[in-house]
Amino acid sequence: MASSSRPGLDDVRWYERAVFYELLPRGFFDSNADGIGDFAGLREKLEYLQWLGVDCVWLLPFYPSPLCDGGYDISDFLTVAPELGGIDDLAAVVEDAHRRGIRIISDLVMNHTSDEHPWFIESRSSRDNDKADWYVWADDDRGFAEVRVIFCDVEPSNWTFDPRRQQYYWHRFFHQQPDLNYENPEVADAMLGVVRFWLDLGIDGFRLDAVPYLYKAEGTLCENLPATHKLLRRIRAEIDAAYPNRILLAEVNQWPDVVTEYFGDGDECHMCFNFPLMPRMFMAVRREQRFPITEILTQTPPIPDGCQWGIFLRNHDELTLEMVTDEERDYMYSEYAHDPRMRRNLGIRRRLAPLVDNDRRVAELLYGLLLSLPGSPVLYYGDELLMGDNIYLGDRDAVRTPMQWSPDRNAGFSRADFAQLYLPPLMDPVHGYQAVNVEAEQRDPSSFLHWMRRMLAVRHQYPQLATGSLEVLPADNPSVLAYVRQARAGENLAGEPSAVLCVSNLSRFAQPAELSLGRWEGCTPIELSGRVPFPPVTPGSYSVTLASHGFYWFELVER
Amino acid sequence: MPPSPSALEGLVVPYLQRQPWFLVDMARYDRAVWATFRLADLEIVLDGRPGMASVVVAVGERRFHVLVGWREAALAPAVIGDHQGAVLGMCDDGLGDVLCYNALADEELSRGLLAVASAGRESARRVRLVQSLVSHASLVYDERLFMKSYRVLEPAPRPEIELMSKLDEVGFKHLLRPVAHWERNGWDLALVREFIPSAVEGRLLALTSLRDLLGRNVDEGRLRLDEVGGAGGDLSSEMRRLGEVTGGLHLALAEAFGVRSLAAGEASTAVAIRVHGDYHLRRVFRTDTGWVVAGFGDDPLIGRSADELKRREPRFASPLEDLADLSYSLRQMAAEAVAAQPSVTCAQAERLAKSWERRNRGAFLSGYLGVEGIDALMKLDRSAAAEAIKSLVGARAVTAT
Repeated sequence: MASSSRPGLDDVRWYERAVFYELLPRGFFDSNADGIGDFAGLREKLEYLQWLGVDCVWLLPFYPSPLCDGGYDISDFLTVAPELGGIDDLAAVVEDAHRRGIRIISDLVMNHTSDEHPWFIESRSSRDNDKADWYVWADDDRGFAEVRVIFCDVEPSNWTFDPRRQQYYWHRFFHQQPDLNYENPEVADAMLGVVRFWLDLGIDGFRLDAVPYLYKAEGTLCENLPATHKLLRRIRAEIDAAYPNRILLAEVNQWPDVVTEYFGDGDECHMCFNFPLMPRMFMAVRREQRFPITEILTQTPPIPDGCQWGIFLRNHDELTLEMVTDEERDYMYSEYAHDPRMRRNLGIRRRLAPLVDNDRRVAELLYGLLLSLPGSPVLYYGDELLMGDNIYLGDRDAVRTPMQWSPDRNAGFSRADFAQLYLPPLMDPVHGYQAVNVEAEQRDPSSFLHWMRRMLAVRHQYPQLATGSLEVLPADNPSVLAYVRQARAGENLAGEPSAVLCVSNLSRFAQPAELSLGRWEGCTPIELSGRVPFPPVTPGSYSVTLASHGFYWFELVER
Repeated sequence: MPPSPSALEGLVVPYLQRQPWFLVDMARYDRAVWATFRLADLEIVLDGRPGMASVVVAVGERRFHVLVGWREAALAPAVIGDHQGAVLGMCDDGLGDVLCYNALADEELSRGLLAVASAGRESARRVRLVQSLVSHASLVYDERLFMKSYRVLEPAPRPEIELMSKLDEVGFKHLLRPVAHWERNGWDLALVREFIPSAVEGRLLALTSLRDLLGRNVDEGRLRLDEVGGAGGDLSSEMRRLGEVTGGLHLALAEAFGVRSLAAGEASTAVAIRVHGDYHLRRVFRTDTGWVVAGFGDDPLIGRSADELKRREPRFASPLEDLADLSYSLRQMAAEAVAAQPSVTCAQAERLAKSWERRNRGAFLSGYLGVEGIDALMKLDRSAAAEAIKSLVGARAVTAT
């Protein structure tokens, strides 16, 4: 068996093989019984993340914020929201995490601030203060007329009138989130100061929020402008020079060919999320055929060396608001919105378990795909337990309920009074914390949590699943998706063969498949989880039978 | 020196008379024509050992093509392996005895055939024989090229080759692109086209969709007919895309072959175009980048009614004919899926399958009518077109039973 290849702390390309874990600090663990999760609480739970096999934790925004947009409206970039602890607590988390081989990245919102940020307060106070043009101001709301409104159901326009300054300011998101004006070089300098501040503290990188919108220009859609790329290259150069091993992970909710521009020539972001892949994994399972996935894979251009996709099944965000108004996204809806069930699900913030009707086989299949398709997987806290959601909280909070640690009071998340909790834990009979919690699932060797841990371990053993090339194999059965991940030159572990074959049945019925494995004639496929050898590959097609929603990962071993 | 023509003829004629595909084709003719066997044409396409000859035998007006390969008698059995039925017999090539056999049983010769059929422009490292039908045998080269080596010949241009070449010329993209064809003395011998390994027959996607629908009916209790669209395996978006491709196909056919006015009595649409003529879910393939049209009739000739065979002849007709063919094929798929259901659920399954057929027929037509410029070919509005197709499909069903 291959030895584990978990990326070490000295590995500059660690992010290419890492398993990421996205968590909400206020929802993870409450150490001081005030009903809100905090950094001291997170520190206590790092052992759990290490046990699970997580390589990097992505912290959702922890900055002081009026919380109009889940913390993405930041009122101070250089400290920690007081309810989460102090800077020292975060520093202790980083130090302890590093000791356990876990990295920490944080959200960084460069596009805008909260309207309560001192920069904006000063900027709006008059037309001639020091920060007067740190934001985008105009005398009327007619500028950038072609630019779409992203939050179109709540914001009538990207311009909002400010009665104090008697001018309009520009915002791509909520009106409480005025956009910064990067045309003013002081703004970029200030943001670089923010970047340095956190990197100096030991943070391992940033997930860059809303990155396509930084620069604006009349007559354009104000997205993906060359100046934005130039700024990213500047930040990247700074990181490469002074902070090796740190990464930039971009949120660019666009088609793959646009997203790849954010890798630059390997001189912009280290990673970008692959947004279109995610809904298509669900669609492929819903439609019981592989084409939604293979179609997007064929449209995904190759990325520069040293770059990696971030892929995910669910996260803290929903898709609709960004996807539906993006004209390039419309394609997907015109293609697939005919299924009212998918439309409903995609439009609502839901966790994985409810999205798949709590069907463990489907959840396993989807994770099987996530852990074997090109990219570094990003898990969303609680999904490793098949935690549910609470749609009655409103869709912003539905998937942000407390992590379920034990069957104790408040799901073991907090010792505060129930009424004091930032959100109530799930208590429904299917997903409630009495049954679905870390303690119970750790005790049960056949739990989903244990399954996930085993799968992460297997993935760590086979780096080709992370960085190998991808070749989709033809299969006669449209419900079967088969592909080979082949290690690139120089990536083989000593003496190890280089190809892993992944075969998935997207149907809820058992399926046969005839695969064309000519190139691996004579190899023996060995199933990765149990190391069971299957019949060797002979000339002609290779027959595989798969159980309902079943999947196999095989190492193709030359004998 | 190759075997002499008379030696080859002496081996090919009895070989031909043993071949099921030949017997099936000849069954349609009076036995008197059997007396008219003669060697019509012969070309040594590969001289030496191994060698290969392309032999055309005439029987009455029919022409049959056999590719004869030969090797030293001692070596040949190892090469042809299990293909015992491929042996024609021994003859002398001037240097000694050679064993003659069907060249498609020999990988080396089959690879050589590609070079012959493409006039030396193509070569391959691997070949596999995928199918032997009455009209042709099919080979796949390097999972990249597909060859139809015709057995029952037709005078050039064979409709299939003509259609594919013309569509390619006018730039129709949703096509398994023709790469080469091999013609000799006015007869088409082989066609080489692109092969897309990931392509899946439309028929299989339709059955996947029906499987999901009927399975859900069992899992979740009786589905209402209006819930058909909500089933996960809904095919309608795919059928809409196929409708768009079909619209593009018709526009390309009109561009390539021109437009005529319809014969009296067929006044439902204003124009007639060269129709595909055999348009159903086995003729269209879903690939990773969308639908492609493949195959323009050629197989299988057996089991077709006289009416079907007539429809397949190259002709000008209303574009509705192709739409009805495809729609009829949706009906056949629905019937096939229902027949596979346990009898207890059959009645409801049948109703659901009908609803499925209606929904996908509608989506297909919507895609078709949405194609820019299609109104030049199709003068009917949506409901009139739907009615016309429905009645044509009804007529097919009557003919088929």
